[in-house]
Amino acid sequence: MIAFIGLSHLGLVYSAATAAHGFRVLCFDPNPEIGRQIQQGQLPVEESGLSDLFTQHAANIEFSSDLERLRQCELVFYSLDVATDRDNQSDLAPLTQLVQHTSSHLPHDATVVLLSQVPPGYTRSLAADIQRPLASVFYQVETLVFGIAVERAMRPERYIIGCVEPAAPLSPAYARWLHAFDCPLLPMRYESAELAKIAINCFLVSSVSTTNMLAEVCEQTGAAWCEIAPALRLDKRIGPHAYLQPGLGIAGGNLERDLVTIKSLAAENGTEAGIVDSWLVSSRYRRDWALRKVFDLVLSKNSSPRIAIWGLAYKKDTHSVKNSPSVFLARALASVEKTCYDPQVKSLASPIPNLSFSSSAIEACSGADALLVMTPWAEFAQVHLTSIRETMRGQILIDPFGIFQEADCIAAGLSRHTLGS
Amino acid sequence: MLQHLNTTSVKPQRVVILGASGFIAKNLAERLTKKGINFISISSREVNLLDSGSAEQLKQILKSGDSLVITSALTPDKGKDVATLMKNLTMAQHIASAIEATDLHQMIYISSDAVYPNSASPIRETSPREAADLYSLMHIAREQIFQTVAGSKKTPLCIFCPSAIYGTGDTHNSYGPNRFLRSAIQDKKITLFGNGEEMRDHIHIDDVVSLLVLCLGHRSHGTLNAVTGQALSFHDVATKIAESLGSGIAIECNPRSSLVTHRHFDATERIKAYPEFVPRSIDKS
Repeated sequence: MIAFIGLSHLGLVYSAATAAHGFRVLCFDPNPEIGRQIQQGQLPVEESGLSDLFTQHAANIEFSSDLERLRQCELVFYSLDVATDRDNQSDLAPLTQLVQHTSSHLPHDATVVLLSQVPPGYTRSLAADIQRPLASVFYQVETLVFGIAVERAMRPERYIIGCVEPAAPLSPAYARWLHAFDCPLLPMRYESAELAKIAINCFLVSSVSTTNMLAEVCEQTGAAWCEIAPALRLDKRIGPHAYLQPGLGIAGGNLERDLVTIKSLAAENGTEAGIVDSWLVSSRYRRDWALRKVFDLVLSKNSSPRIAIWGLAYKKDTHSVKNSPSVFLARALASVEKTCYDPQVKSLASPIPNLSFSSSAIEACSGADALLVMTPWAEFAQVHLTSIRETMRGQILIDPFGIFQEADCIAAGLSRHTLGS
Repeated sequence: MLQHLNTTSVKPQRVVILGASGFIAKNLAERLTKKGINFISISSREVNLLDSGSAEQLKQILKSGDSLVITSALTPDKGKDVATLMKNLTMAQHIASAIEATDLHQMIYISSDAVYPNSASPIRETSPREAADLYSLMHIAREQIFQTVAGSKKTPLCIFCPSAIYGTGDTHNSYGPNRFLRSAIQDKKITLFGNGEEMRDHIHIDDVVSLLVLCLGHRSHGTLNAVTGQALSFHDVATKIAESLGSGIAIECNPRSSLVTHRHFDATERIKAYPEFVPRSIDKS
């Protein structure tokens, strides 16, 4: 049996994917309520396809908070997502406490794999703390993406495995699990694997920042980024899957966490990391793109404007609002009347003045001078533009991600403003 | 980042303006009068901040609960040398000494966009300061002096950095809209360095004053760049002035002696701080 300890997004996605590959899975969390809710079909996270996966493979999945059940597991994953604070610093304490709470209940010969997002050096020190042979402790890089996490867990691009001795064979139980996913395996020392995750995210941020900078140049020069991006995708040095979609900066917490970690490592070691500061400045600047637009187009012309906001989540297909550009926007427009609609986010932990929630996208547009599509949820693109125009008071459509076609907007009498053109 | 201690604007008890004869101070005084806000405006004739006794004089004038606006400075047209720098720092020293003895409601220090170096990227409140000359060094040093004394007194301090200010009554004749207008009226021509390609953020004095009044009312603290966020080339400014005066104004371009530099400002923090404030366009000015 394979255990996943810690049932946050990471643990739930991996345990469902593992069950789907035919393994018997023990989903363990000290809080029994989490398991009970999942068994009743109430997942604590929004992730496309996850609920179906749990339903389809329920026969392979057992939920427990009984430490004794761990004694029957030959392979144990620690899969608690590491939360970050307002400054995007990791709080490793819950993970460390979870390991301390459970590790003495694992079989002596069990293989332990750490999946959680940890900084370089954590796995080696953890292995020493829990007094297990280093050869039985691994770190596995998770590269899940909210919204497509199930797909990425089911069909991973590769597995990056941190080991005490990369040349040594993997334990049979772990090797069986890895081979079931039929992807390249990259064993490396613990610290390399821990840094590999951060390196991946740094390259993503680099692409995002470069795309956003060039998209703004397009906006000023009459070029269209949507015409340039396909040319870049055909360049082998950039590639078809590169992050070339202009956006509102980095959000969600994971990328920000890794930037904080790399800055901290650079500071400790005297490494030049000014580029990270530049990425952060670029991200904050781009985050406020919609605010500048709404000021120029609406606030500067209307003394009592009314704004409709579609989307509060930091990206589509998630309920997370961590570092969400939409929430930043709403907060910056505290004195302005705002109505919002998000398919998943129905309230905010910290209320925003003059912000009301609508029960539908079109209802949110009622009497609005401008509509801002801050999260590109698929359902938004299905709303008829003529209905939007008829419901609104004004005609400004701020559509950063370009979910609507310009020609359609013009035909409907809407003035569309998008990133990159 | 600018933060407000008053969510909605509250009339200050009394505003004390230092540097009464300056361009900003005169316009601020006019606005405060119109708004019925109690104020006194002090020039170097009443209190010469270079005098060793000026700190004591100021202590006698300042009252607990005053909002102090510091505009006093010897500008580059009064000198760009070390002696001018030291005089400006002496003035700051005397003001700081007086502040230490008073529980002010708020302080606003009128700094300058000169504290920021030229940059290919937009300049914002978090941009690093860097002294390009003794004038910018003076403002950077004064900002630090007033931050230190405000911090020790726990007095809210706003560092207020205007971009290039223009408008009727400007006492300076620096390169830009005011000089262009005077030259166009007097000589029927506007002379540019090179082709006037440099992009700059020009803000009207009325807008500077409006932002100061908002800052006083909201008891704002932090740093605010008083900028429009819309940079124009000197050539565009000259063309607009020439067009506004009708025909017959020549725009002459002289050979350039230095590289073209641009300065764009990111006005996002201003928008966040005062979303109701809309800067006027230079066309309307």
